[in-house]
Amino acid sequence: MSDQYPDLSRRALLKAGAATSVAATLTGCSLLPNMNSGHPEQYTAAVALPDGTFAVEAINRSGQPVWQSPVETRCHSGCNRPGGKQVVFFERRPGWSFCVFDRTSGRRQARVQAAQGEHFVGHGIFSPDGRWLYATASRYEQGEGIIAVYDAENEFKRSNTYELAGIGPHELTIHPDGETLIIGLGGILTHPDYDRIKLNLDTMQPALVLMNRRTGSIVGRFKPSHHQQSTRHVSVNRDGRIYAAYQYQGPLYENPPLLARLQDGKLREIRFDDATQKGLGNYISSVAAHPENDLVAAASPVGGTAVIFEGSTGKLISSTAIPDCAGVHALKGGDFMLSSGRGQLVRFGAKDTPEELAQLPVQWDHHLV
Amino acid sequence: MRKFTKLIGAATLALASAAVGANTDLDIDRQARNLWHDAILAGYQSLATNAADFSRAAQNYCESPDQASRRNAEQAWRRAFLAWQKVRFVDFGPVENNNLAWQFQFWPDPKNLIAKKARYLVKSEDGVTQELVAQSGVAVQGFPMAEYLLYDKQMNASDKALPATNTCELLVAVADHIAANSDTLSSEWQSLREHFLDTDQYSDATIKAGMAGLEILEERRLAQPMGMRGNGKRSKYDADAWRSGSSLMAVEASLNGLRTYFLPGLSLLLDNSDKPALSQSIKRQFDEVLEHFPEMRAPMEVMLQDDSFAQLQGLYVDVSQLVVLVTDQAAVELGVARGFNSSDGD
Repeated sequence: MSDQYPDLSRRALLKAGAATSVAATLTGCSLLPNMNSGHPEQYTAAVALPDGTFAVEAINRSGQPVWQSPVETRCHSGCNRPGGKQVVFFERRPGWSFCVFDRTSGRRQARVQAAQGEHFVGHGIFSPDGRWLYATASRYEQGEGIIAVYDAENEFKRSNTYELAGIGPHELTIHPDGETLIIGLGGILTHPDYDRIKLNLDTMQPALVLMNRRTGSIVGRFKPSHHQQSTRHVSVNRDGRIYAAYQYQGPLYENPPLLARLQDGKLREIRFDDATQKGLGNYISSVAAHPENDLVAAASPVGGTAVIFEGSTGKLISSTAIPDCAGVHALKGGDFMLSSGRGQLVRFGAKDTPEELAQLPVQWDHHLV
Repeated sequence: MRKFTKLIGAATLALASAAVGANTDLDIDRQARNLWHDAILAGYQSLATNAADFSRAAQNYCESPDQASRRNAEQAWRRAFLAWQKVRFVDFGPVENNNLAWQFQFWPDPKNLIAKKARYLVKSEDGVTQELVAQSGVAVQGFPMAEYLLYDKQMNASDKALPATNTCELLVAVADHIAANSDTLSSEWQSLREHFLDTDQYSDATIKAGMAGLEILEERRLAQPMGMRGNGKRSKYDADAWRSGSSLMAVEASLNGLRTYFLPGLSLLLDNSDKPALSQSIKRQFDEVLEHFPEMRAPMEVMLQDDSFAQLQGLYVDVSQLVVLVTDQAAVELGVARGFNSSDGD
């Protein structure tokens, strides 16, 4: 990991902007790798099956199954390896392993255990060249959030560890500059001996963290306006505009903003009208910025609501009610695909009425990748 | 392909018309929340009273330890523990603050953290204070820790058995901690009143809490020790409160609590729904389930024996039917569903 990298101050990074379209074609999970890889559009998600077992399942753009591969325990999210040949999925928190699948056939090629004293939290992202896999993880005895780095060209051997100086990292993605990891730091302390008990709700310090992927140095840390806005999910569009999605840990009768855009060195929080805010149930499970336009979609299974808003202004464009909807992914052409815990796959865009693409006998877990 | 309702721009209009048609529903909803708030407050106040009694009884025992004061402390522990069982289903609101629910009852405990922490604390050379208990994590702070000190056979056979100084200090500090938490919970619930009545989401939260309470009772408190899940072996250690033989008494208390504090609000909503008969079916099923008591107040260990296991299976079947009525029928009728993702928390 000794390659040269540009000295990216936060300011330089935020200015990066439109000059990054070439880099965008190289990036990993979040920016429609399908569109640029020459491979057919395919989306993958963790599922629970009717018999109580779990799998990872791939579907095509119309929501038709491509393959289904069994896994030992419930998985959460994952990422496509640039190059189009592999997809990786992580166990649900506390995750003790991740699995590597052949993206075409679904055949499982490897299962990699978490290092001693660490567990994964469900998310990972590759470097644009497909070599390095960055996974959010926790050293659970110390309660320290880390980025665990694996070498995909060397049987996914652990190659490095970056400190986050914070608790509860969750989703991460990579900036179109190809150099900067964008990490949601939820701030919530848990320990595998204590189920999923949230041990520090009074003293949480959630943040959106930017990290240089080659050195692990933190180049930006941005706090939400309230310390209980657990900053779990992140997305970035082709121009490098970064979005964060929160899960609010305070009382039900409060409805603070759940989405934010990183702008001028601050998390500019986006609050919709009261009815829409209530519909989101203080919980966003996924956020996806579309690479082809200014639209951003987010889903809340708690509220059974999905929204599309204009990224640059925060203006609500569309809202739809889908029970237990959680996964969101951009579709080629400008729309989004939504998945639900009730097996639904729905096409959702700014213009047309949402359309059910498929209803499959599975429970789609939180994310589509 | 099915089309979905979409709200673009017309959202305000749609909401306004919905509000006009739904006025009555909103009133009923609010009345249900009123019933729930009052009932749960009564439950919390009873917990606070019984926890204060236990705190005094623990103090008395440690000041003048004899058979009578020990029995008083044990009985006071049980009354307070059962008062907690009655409100244990409430998994939202102030009981979420500082993990109060976990502080009251750290369970399940597959790694036996209770025993490990107790053994460590009673060896402490600096004595055991309330501050130490407050800093020692949820496994130390509630009913299972007090139960361990009062009932665990190995503990009671050791040189640290009650009324050894450190062990007594730990018992008193834990009892005080439970009492203080019970007071806090009761007063914070009272303060929540206006928000609880004004916020629709609390109706869903309460119904989901009742559903979850019943499911945990069915799956984890009965099916698991009965060997119907996991490795298929019957084991009292999979139940809660096995050290004091109170697992099934706790089940009874939780069912009573759900009938007293949860059912009235639920019934009001069902009586005003399209399926008013459901309300009566659920009441009858609660009666059916509770008919197994007081005969079933035996320790789980006894009920897991072959000659009494059929009785336990009878209870399980009746509880399962209650779960179906509440979670599959009532909740669906009221439009409340817990999803695969919505209950995930990631």
